[in-house]
This record gives sequence, structure tokens and C-alpha cells, in this order.
Amino acid sequence: MSLETLSDQLLAEISEILAKHPQRRPALLPILHACQRRNGYISPEIERAVAELLGIPVIDVREIITFYTLLLPKPVGKHHLQFCTNLSCHLQGAEESVAAACRRLGIEEGETTADRRFTVTTVECLGACDMAPAMQVNDDYYANMTSDRVNELLDKLS
Amino acid sequence: MEKILSKHFFNPEARRLSFYLQNDGYEAARKALTCMSPQEIIEEVMKSNLRGLGGAGFPTGRKWSFIPKDSPEPRYLVVNCDESEPGTFKDRHIIEWTPHTLLEGVMIASFAIGAHQCFVYARGEYVRYANILQTALEEAYRAGFFGKNIFGTGFDLDVMIHLGAGAYICGEESALLESLEGKKGWPRLKPPFPAVSGLFGRPTIINNTETISYVPVIIRNGGEWFSRLGSLKSGGMRLYSVSGHIRKPGVYELPLGTSLREIIYTYAEGMRNGRKLKAVIPGGSSTPVLTAQEIDVKMDFESLAAIGSMLGSAGVIVMDESACLVKALAVLGKFYQHESCGQCTPCREGTGWMTRILHRILTGRGVKGDLENLVRVANNIQGNTICALGDGAAMPMISFVTKFREEFESHIFHKRCTAVR
Amino acid sequence: MPTLTIDGQPITVSKGTTVIQAAEALGIYIPRYCYHPGLSIAGSCRMCLVEIEKAPRLEVACYSQAADGMVVHTITENVRLARRSVLEFLLSNHPLDCPVCDQSGECDLQNYYMEFGLYQSRFLENKIKRRKAYPIGPHVMLDNERCILCSRCVRFCDEVSKSHELGIVNRGERSEIALYEGRELNNAYSGNVIDICPVGALTERDFRFQCRVWYLNRTASICPGCARGCNIEIHYNVLRPYQSKGKRILRIKPRFNPAVNKWWICDEGRYGFRHIDASNRLRECEAQTADGVIPLGMETALKTAAAWIGESIEQHGKDSVGFFLSPELSNEDLYAILKLARHLGISKIDFRNPGEHPGFEDNFLIRGDKNPNRRGCVELGLYHRQRENGGWMAEEIKQGTLRMLVAFLQDLSLEPEFKAALVSLKRLIFVGSNSNATSEQAGLVLPSATYAEKNGSFTNFQGRAQRFERALVPLGDSLPENELIARIAAHFRMPEQPFEREQLLLDLRAEFPFFDQSTLDPPDVELAYQTTIAQREHA
Repeated sequence: MSLETLSDQLLAEISEILAKHPQRRPALLPILHACQRRNGYISPEIERAVAELLGIPVIDVREIITFYTLLLPKPVGKHHLQFCTNLSCHLQGAEESVAAACRRLGIEEGETTADRRFTVTTVECLGACDMAPAMQVNDDYYANMTSDRVNELLDKLS
Repeated sequence: MEKILSKHFFNPEARRLSFYLQNDGYEAARKALTCMSPQEIIEEVMKSNLRGLGGAGFPTGRKWSFIPKDSPEPRYLVVNCDESEPGTFKDRHIIEWTPHTLLEGVMIASFAIGAHQCFVYARGEYVRYANILQTALEEAYRAGFFGKNIFGTGFDLDVMIHLGAGAYICGEESALLESLEGKKGWPRLKPPFPAVSGLFGRPTIINNTETISYVPVIIRNGGEWFSRLGSLKSGGMRLYSVSGHIRKPGVYELPLGTSLREIIYTYAEGMRNGRKLKAVIPGGSSTPVLTAQEIDVKMDFESLAAIGSMLGSAGVIVMDESACLVKALAVLGKFYQHESCGQCTPCREGTGWMTRILHRILTGRGVKGDLENLVRVANNIQGNTICALGDGAAMPMISFVTKFREEFESHIFHKRCTAVR
Repeated sequence: MPTLTIDGQPITVSKGTTVIQAAEALGIYIPRYCYHPGLSIAGSCRMCLVEIEKAPRLEVACYSQAADGMVVHTITENVRLARRSVLEFLLSNHPLDCPVCDQSGECDLQNYYMEFGLYQSRFLENKIKRRKAYPIGPHVMLDNERCILCSRCVRFCDEVSKSHELGIVNRGERSEIALYEGRELNNAYSGNVIDICPVGALTERDFRFQCRVWYLNRTASICPGCARGCNIEIHYNVLRPYQSKGKRILRIKPRFNPAVNKWWICDEGRYGFRHIDASNRLRECEAQTADGVIPLGMETALKTAAAWIGESIEQHGKDSVGFFLSPELSNEDLYAILKLARHLGISKIDFRNPGEHPGFEDNFLIRGDKNPNRRGCVELGLYHRQRENGGWMAEEIKQGTLRMLVAFLQDLSLEPEFKAALVSLKRLIFVGSNSNATSEQAGLVLPSATYAEKNGSFTNFQGRAQRFERALVPLGDSLPENELIARIAAHFRMPEQPFEREQLLLDLRAEFPFFDQSTLDPPDVELAYQTTIAQREHA
């Protein structure tokens, strides 16, 4: 039914993951990661396709996606700016850099720009307190994010 | 003091297998696999006084000894690299700068407990760092350090790196196992403990990344040697993650028992902008906060426990006089509210309740009785949940309010923040 | 076999018994939300915390296994404080819906609050708003605000119905019970989640706003929906009929029987009570005359029935009369009919079992045989006479040898051969609770009581004769079949005594050893759906 939702490349990647896991259910997180890397987020279609593929109830997949914050049920911008606002980053003024990013992009925290290039979210501790205020853009960590450095970064990414 | 894990931090060359081998890499593993019995390894680790460095501080050798012996049942080693405790970033440094040390530790630990499969669970945000570890692992596989018949001993070992997906709770060992099994990170009821029934219901040992990384040097230099590096009951060295209002945030590898004062003023080079120290969280956000008067404490398990705090993950967060502790605590409250898995009633409902009280105080709507209520709610969570997240949420509440009550009262009764701007 | 002490009382239990079970065996009830004996252990609500000596902290009684020498205290200051705080946490975001909540009166938030709560609220924050009162399937409404996330319903769907509709989505305080969009909670056992929900989160669409539960009367009964004979309880409202628009039965709940249905019933059975107050209920005796159907008084009707039978026997012999029975009749009804037949020398007795063409069946509770007492018919010796579902009777009617039939309950015209035969019948008496095509053809109709309106027993497929009790007064003039038979028998000079309830049962057990040996389940009033009340009453 919904397996056609998954591209051939993705299906190949999924079979590779399944080959590494003797049991199916433990492959769920790696498969969802793979789906998200290819599609940017996990759509309901993908959700259902993965449930069917692994032979698990689709509500279980929904539980997983809504439990783990890195799994995205909705699309985000091309550059996903995730500002750490936990204690060490807060002490170094993380909120200022969040505000700077929002001001510059004309969006609120949690929103995506109209051109779908940027999303700004605040996140909990990234394990980068030595880089405080720290942020993550897609897979990359950035250190010492003052307002100026946020603007510089946005210049580079724009 | 000679560094062990951090010796080659920030040297990209050090990630490479060739560099590692030039520096006696995998020699400890060779020694363990070819000259030692699993029992001898466990005894050596026991002698070293190595304790769980993720936060709980459980003696590592003893943990390994719980694994059923002489049972044909498969067992697993799981490395907890889900480093998420606010203020902690040491494991990231390990996999980023010295991945082979961890892998060598994995090899020795697996051999000691008879595991042929190891899973390294890294938090999802660490994808780049996990890739560095993956590259190192592949290099090691190619060189024959993993896979079949390691060192010609007939010992087989496979390692799989698994990425988390954004959940602090998965740092709790049984939640981590659930996650590895493809489920939500809901901590399991205990017993059984993982050493008896863990991953897929099999005996499983779960160790922190740093803990495992210290194993090679213990095998190389002996347990006693390692033990003597530290204080009486807490053996050896450990990585202190230091952040906050200090001049030089970073990871410092120091003997257990180094004083907090020394860490802050000598190693992290003191307070930023000449400001006065106000408060320090000694072991990650879940550990009770210390006042400026308490920083002569020795940073080991016993000394911190003696003054009512904990060494935890050794994530030191330093706050100076400019920090508003009501805001700081509200930030932590929001964290626990966000990260509570939602399974147990007290933690699910209590973390949000405490955070709302703090938010009210912070926005000038605090009322008489709020602090008593806050502490009461925290006390009602503490000790009444399946896992320690609830305790971790409660301890900062109780300690902040108790030790810095005036600052909270000023917000409630005078609607004024006493932090020095 | 560990021996432990709970609140000073020693008890020896089998290995693996949990503290909560051991306490229950001693009659000590430990409050709980997530624990349900029919489901896996979640251990998450933290309501059942108890003090175990030498344990560093309070432990959940639902998960702690009894150990030799263990000393448990279920009511200490610490335990009371912990329970009170768990309640306070659960109520912190719980809406104040009690005045409009169907669960009121059988709600474990209310019950435990009265026992352990009784505090002044110290929750000054805004309560979290969630989605309220929406249907999630044909029978169940969900109110997320009222939910305390005990996960019983989720575990029921995973472990018992194995239909996996429900899950807990999101994390922490945002956690919620949910279905995947576009899916429904429509498994064959969905109603059970209402019973096990300890609060008002899952309520019954059918029962919604019908009646306050404290106005309900409860009577133990047996579900007549299939050969399983699930133990049920009938909840009815007779004192305040205006509250439920005259409906007498308001809901059916399962009654715990470990050997038959455990804590559960199927939805078919749960909602299978509509015929009792349906508009096609036969309320009075009727006779077919040239002027159409006319009502008759009970005495006249019974006299007529006796006269018809007597005339037929007199004029055409004993073999001209037949009794056509139904496996929906109780053991007592069947036996009463058998007694009368023997007295009159009538040997043409058979029953038709529509359930011989099985309906839906599963490997849990639902049986393909949709009759509650086929096994009873068999054990009463009625089965061996049966040739092709009573088809031989249709044959004899057509041939004219069988001139008169007393038919019970069923619509014979559904069977093509009977449909054709019935017109050749000289006299047809129909005994039943609801009208059908056969009753409409009958010359005489005697209204009978439904299972909810009489005492009796059904023998389920396992051979358990299970007793049920009268909940309601029979509607109109209707009477239980065995009473109708007794009163007809009186016209043939049979004494009343052998038809009296206890005597009927004694004779039955004396004559048919099966009924003496079979487990005669007494209708105890243990409520399966709500252990709280049951345990309290027991304690």
C-alpha cells in the first residue's frame, strides 16, 4: 500500500540497516533517522510505510516520533538553527543570540522562514557547555554564539 | 600530573589508528586478551577503584562481576555515550579526540564479561562525533582489531554505533536499553538489573564512555597504579567538564579528590571579568548546588556526599554574582519538565508544577508559601519514581531554595532580583 | 513458598506472588491505578507504594515480589504521605469535572481522595488544557484532560484484545493517550477499556449522562449472547425511570470469573440487552381470532393453552403434540417443560440450534454458538432425539401426524422447511419474550420473561452450569417459562411443588448427575470491572 512512498535509495538504505539487525524492532530508530535524512522530516506516509515494513502497529511509530525530539513530524527549514538555552549557555547569554537570529530572520522561535531556508528552535543542553552559548545547525555545532556571530553565520548561510 | 585520556585532545592526528598504535595503542587489549583471564581483568579493574563516571559512581569491577559466569547465553556490552546531563561534555571530547581509547576499552571490557557484541549508544545530536568514532571503528576493523579471532585468540567481537534521537532519559541505563530495542525511552522496573536481564532480555553491562576509556590504562599500568592516582575510595583520574562564568571553560583531567577551588581558580583560571563567585553545581545539573563557601570540597564521591551533594558526572557549572538563581533554577526546571519521560506520576506532574511555580516567581507573581510548596513538591518526587530523573529534578530545587533562600524571597516579596548586573 | 508479614499478619504465598496480591489474599486492599490483575505490570502510577522493612525507600506493591521474611507495612505515615502526594500530582492537572462526569461515584480519584487526600489544594498554576470528550470508536469516548496515564487501556489493547489501537504519544507532562489518525477503537472487546479506566477518561457512549451510578441497582447474571456464558452484572435503574427515559437496563458490566471470562466481556454481549426493553416485547397474552388478534388475560390464556393440549391428546393421541424448544432456555425452564411433557406422555420434543451454523468466533471469549444453553439441552437428553435440527418435526407437520406445536422463543419461519410447514399446523402456541414471524402466526401467544427478569442457570460450553439472578420485574404480564409451564401443568392436576425453584433444581441434580457434578457457579456479586469497590466490601 504505502511502501511506494519510500524511494528506491531509501529502501536500499533500509535493507542495509535491516541486514545489520537480527531483530526488526531495534532497526526502527536507525530507519527513522535514515528516512529523516533523506526527506527532511517523517511524514505520516513514511510513518505508515515504516510500520508496515517492520510489521509493527503504526501507533507505536507515532509514539516514537513524538517521544524523541530529534525526530520531526513536520518539515523544517534547510538550515535548522537549534540554540541551546540550558544553564551554561543561558549564563553566557544564549537568549540574546536566539533573539538576534529571530530578529534577523523576522520569525519567532519555533518558526520557519517563508522561503523555508531557516528554522529557529531552542533546545536543551547540547553537551557543548564549553562552547557556550552553543548551537547546532543541522549536524554541526557552533561555539560562542553572540549576536554578532549569529549574524555572521547567517550571512554565510544565506 | 600526566594526562591519560586528554593527553592528545585537540590533536586531530590522535584520532588515527596509526597515531594511536605509535603510542602503545591496543597493547593493553592485546595483553588482556592474550595474557589475562576475564577474571583477572575484572580483579584488576576492582583494584583500580574505577567507578561509574556517568554519574552513579558504582564500582565498575563489581558491576562486571555480576554478569552470570559459565552461561552459554549471549551477553552484551553497552557503552553509554548519551551524554546529556547539563554541564557535561567530556564523553564528546573522548569520541572526538581519542576514539580508539574507547574502542580499546570496549575490547577489554567485552572480553572480561564474555560479550561478543557491543553497542555504543551516542546521543543523536553527536552525529558528527559519532561519525568520527565510526571512522575509527572501521579503521580498527580493517586492522583486524575487531571482528573474528582477535589477536588470534579466537575471541570475536562486533561493535555497532547506535544514534539516539533526542531524549535525556535515554542516559538512564534501562531507558537506553529500551531505546536500543526500538522503543520509547521509558525506564524499566528493577529488578532484574541489566547484568541479569538487559538488552533483549540478555545479561548486559552498561558503562559510561569515560569509564570504559579508562580501562586500557588500568590494564597497562595495573589497577593499583590507577587507584593511587585518586583519593581513598575513588580511584584514579576523571574528566571534569567545567563551564559557566569562568575564564577557561573546558574538560580538565585531574585526580579524583582535586579541590573544587583548584579546578575553578587554577585550572579554569578563575572567574570571568573579576566577578565574585556565587554558586557552583559540582556534578551536572542534577546534583545539589554549592555556595562559594563550600568550594574547598574535594571533588570525589565521598567528600561531596559528606556535604550533601554529589560528584555525578563531574560537570561543574560555575555561577558568579551576575547570575539570577531564580532564573537559573527555572532554566533547570524547564529542562526536567521537557525531559521527564512521563511514565511515573510524581515526575511527570511534579516537574511541570515546579517549573510553573518558578516561572511565576520570576515574573513577579510569586506569593508567600511558594518556596515551601516548591520544596514540598520536590520532596514528594524524590525517591518515589522508577528512575533517578525525578531525584535529579528535585535535588537542585531543594538545594537552590535552601541555600539561596533570600534571593528567592526577594523575588517573591520585593519583586526584585538581587543579582549584580 | 515465601512467608512474609503484611501489617502484622503472616502469610505464605507461592513464589512470584507480588506484595499487592499477597495483601489482597489477607483482605488488605492497597490502592492502585495502573495495576490491574489482568494486565502486565506498569509500576508507573506510584499509588501502591508501601514500606518494606530494610528497603531504602518506598516500593511499589504491584511489582515487589514476596520474599521470605519480608515485612511490609501498607499504612504508615510515610505511605500515607506518598499516596497523598501521588494523588495531589494526579489531581494537579485534573479538571474539576466531577459534577458532569459519568465516572463520579465509581472514580478512584474520588475514592482515594476521600481516604488519603483531603488536603487544601496548593496548586496555584493554570491547569493544562487538553482535548475533551470525543468519540474514539463506536462505544468509547475519550477525555484527555481526565486521563491519569495509568496505561491500562493501552496495555489492554496490546495484551488482551491484541488490536494495538492505543498508544501514549508525546513525552513528560505532554503525554497523552492517542489513536493514529483515521483509526478507531473498534475491536470486539473495546468496551472493557471503559471498565478498567480508573477515572472518567474513557466513558461509555451508550451510558453517557444516562444515570448517576449511585442510583444503579446491580444484579449478577450470565450473558446469554453465546455459549461462553460470560459472567456479567446487570446495572439497572428502576427507582428513577424518569432519569433514563424509561430505559430499565442501563449497562452491562463483566463480573470476574477466572474460569470463564476473567475480567472481560465482548462488545456484542455488553450491548446485547436491547431486546429486553425493545418495542417488540410481548407484554400480554394474545389470541388469533377471526376478528384479528385480541389480548387475553393470563388465566384465560393458560386455560386455553391447557385446553388445546388436552383436546389434541384426547382426539388425536399423545403424538399429535410437540414441544419445540430453544437452547436459549435455562436449565430450569427446559427441565420444567420436560416434567410436563412426561406427565402428559408427550415425546415429540426437540430443539433447534441456530448456532450450529457458527457465527463469528475467536480464540478468546466469543463462541460461534450464539446460544447460552446448548450444552444444557444436550445434558438434559434432548440432543439425542434431534434429527437435523428438528427438521423431522416439519416433516411430520406436513404429513399431518404432528398437529399441534408449542414453540419457545425462536422464529421457526426462518427455517425454510418450517416456514412451509407452519401453515399446515392446526394449532400453534408461541411462548417467547419478543414478537417475531412465528409469534404472529401463532394462535396463542404467551409472553415470557427475559433472562434479566428471571432466575435460572445456563450451562456453558465448558459444562459449567452458571446461575443468574432476576434483576427486573418481568415486563407486562410476562412470566418465566417454567412458571408458565407450572401453571399450565396445574390444569393437568400436577402439583405446584415440583416446579418451585429449589425443588426444580434438586430434582434436576438428582435425575441428571451431570448437573450435580458440574460446577454450579453461584452468582457472587464480585465486581470484576471495579476491584476497588469489591475489595472494600470484602475487606
